[in-house]
Amino acid sequence: MKTIIRLAGIMILLWAAGLADNAQESQADHAVVSFSNPAKPGTVEVDISEGSITVRGYEGKDVVIDARWRERVLTKEEQEQEAALAEGGEELDQEELARKKAQAEKAKGMKTIEVESMGLTIEEEENVIQVNAEEGKRAVDVVIQVPFSTSLRLSCRDDERGVTVDRVDGEIEVETSDGPIVLTNVSGPVVADSSDGEIKAVFGKVVPGKPMSFSTMEGDVDITLPFDVKASLKMKTDEGKIFTDFDVQLKPSQQKKEEDERKEGGGYRVSFEKVTLGLINGGGVEIQITTYEGNVYIRKAK
Amino acid sequence: MKCEQIREKSADYLAGELDEKSLSEVRAHLADCPACREELESLSAIWTKLGVLPKEQPSGSLRIRFYEMLEAYKKGTEKDRDKISLGQTLSYWFGRLMPRRPAYQIALSLILIAAGLGGGFLLSVRSRSAARTEVTGLRGEVDDMRRIVAVSLLKQASPSERLMGVSWSARIDRPGDEIIQTLLETLNRDPNVNVRLAAVDALYLFYDHPEVKAGLIHSLAGQTSPLVQLSLINLLVEIRERRAVEALERLIQDEKLNPKVKKRAELGLTQLS
Repeated sequence: MKTIIRLAGIMILLWAAGLADNAQESQADHAVVSFSNPAKPGTVEVDISEGSITVRGYEGKDVVIDARWRERVLTKEEQEQEAALAEGGEELDQEELARKKAQAEKAKGMKTIEVESMGLTIEEEENVIQVNAEEGKRAVDVVIQVPFSTSLRLSCRDDERGVTVDRVDGEIEVETSDGPIVLTNVSGPVVADSSDGEIKAVFGKVVPGKPMSFSTMEGDVDITLPFDVKASLKMKTDEGKIFTDFDVQLKPSQQKKEEDERKEGGGYRVSFEKVTLGLINGGGVEIQITTYEGNVYIRKAK
Repeated sequence: MKCEQIREKSADYLAGELDEKSLSEVRAHLADCPACREELESLSAIWTKLGVLPKEQPSGSLRIRFYEMLEAYKKGTEKDRDKISLGQTLSYWFGRLMPRRPAYQIALSLILIAAGLGGGFLLSVRSRSAARTEVTGLRGEVDDMRRIVAVSLLKQASPSERLMGVSWSARIDRPGDEIIQTLLETLNRDPNVNVRLAAVDALYLFYDHPEVKAGLIHSLAGQTSPLVQLSLINLLVEIRERRAVEALERLIQDEKLNPKVKKRAELGLTQLS
């Protein structure tokens, strides 16, 4: 059965002048959705183009979704202007400042009626709950509570706040463009990718067998693993460094198979990329880490 | 299906004896259960080493052949009974062929021993080469098994399972067109950057396969992730693929290209020319 719950964008009242500062978080949507087969672990997929995602595991069977719509997403330039304004407006163009002041003056004592339709689309089908934010100017901060064993597929673009996950034992797939990815009390497998953000993952335990992978262009990858984890690491970084407090048994970084060495013309792979292969506690779960500029931190849980 | 049941069926699985239903059950279980996969891997490895994996399936023809053999044996023993007198005549003739002098007798026996040894040696050499072809065949079967697992894993919704599919395909000795195509498709179409990155690494292992180099060059234009672009450029430079020059030049023209990727592509161009 396919359930579609449409959280229609209710017309929102914003105090133009007086509440402008608080208007970042203005309207909350709330929904409780059940899996069609609650006995089996379900999957929650969230795809939002602008905003942030926070997921927490809890002792319940339903998925509880709360969404807060921001007044509107600010472009990077606007954010810089805001920051400049907050610092006294010295760097802000005087003309621009005057224009903003004039606008605020004009609307003094009046309300904004938001006519744009917006909302979340939530669908459940075969134990998969999909949460999508309609494309629009506004950014949304989604907070979701899920049963511990739920699997997650989270995608979030164009935002500085990124994705946060806590206490979820299912499989986690995350992707962000700018924002950080912060995962705590997870057990994997985790497959995470960010263009510019940092990836931080703290594993309470590690589910053996299924491979994991972390990649980020600009950010660091910071992973905390249980002290007794059995893992095979494959780390690639162009300009970053690798730090760890585990006793990592390093292997020669050749990926070549024996057979290849016999081939004619083969055997000149020396420095494809800076690939570091290492075993923790004799090797086990495959963990691949790829960064360009960022550092790699492999921490032992205390 | 439980692990125990799977393990009971693993021999049939390796021999390709399972029916459609149990085959898909076993595959589904293998995709989920790393322990069984490991078990199966090591099982097939041991079999490969011992060379005892049944190359021929115990099919209907075997049954027929068995009864034929049994029949022949029965007839043989019956004939033997009739042939006793013939045997006696033969031994008489052989006895007449034997040289009378002991010195000649010893010489003849030495010749016979030498011939026996030589013949035995020749036979053993022949059986060894037969064993070798047997092992090659077995390797092919292990490859087939890995191929099946890899392709089915690469179609899964879970990116972790697709990663596993990539690493299974990297373990195949002779990948064949199907695996190369599947890996190239993963590289071009997989929605997950991490899986695409893993596909680049796997394809590196097979770069001397005719379609791989062209596929890698072709893929460069379609990639959106800067990390995948970098990885591809590094690989193409590494295997000194001169035909990549044009693709790199075109990539550099792209205004939206990440500046770091651009820098690496420019460096790659100087390294290739």
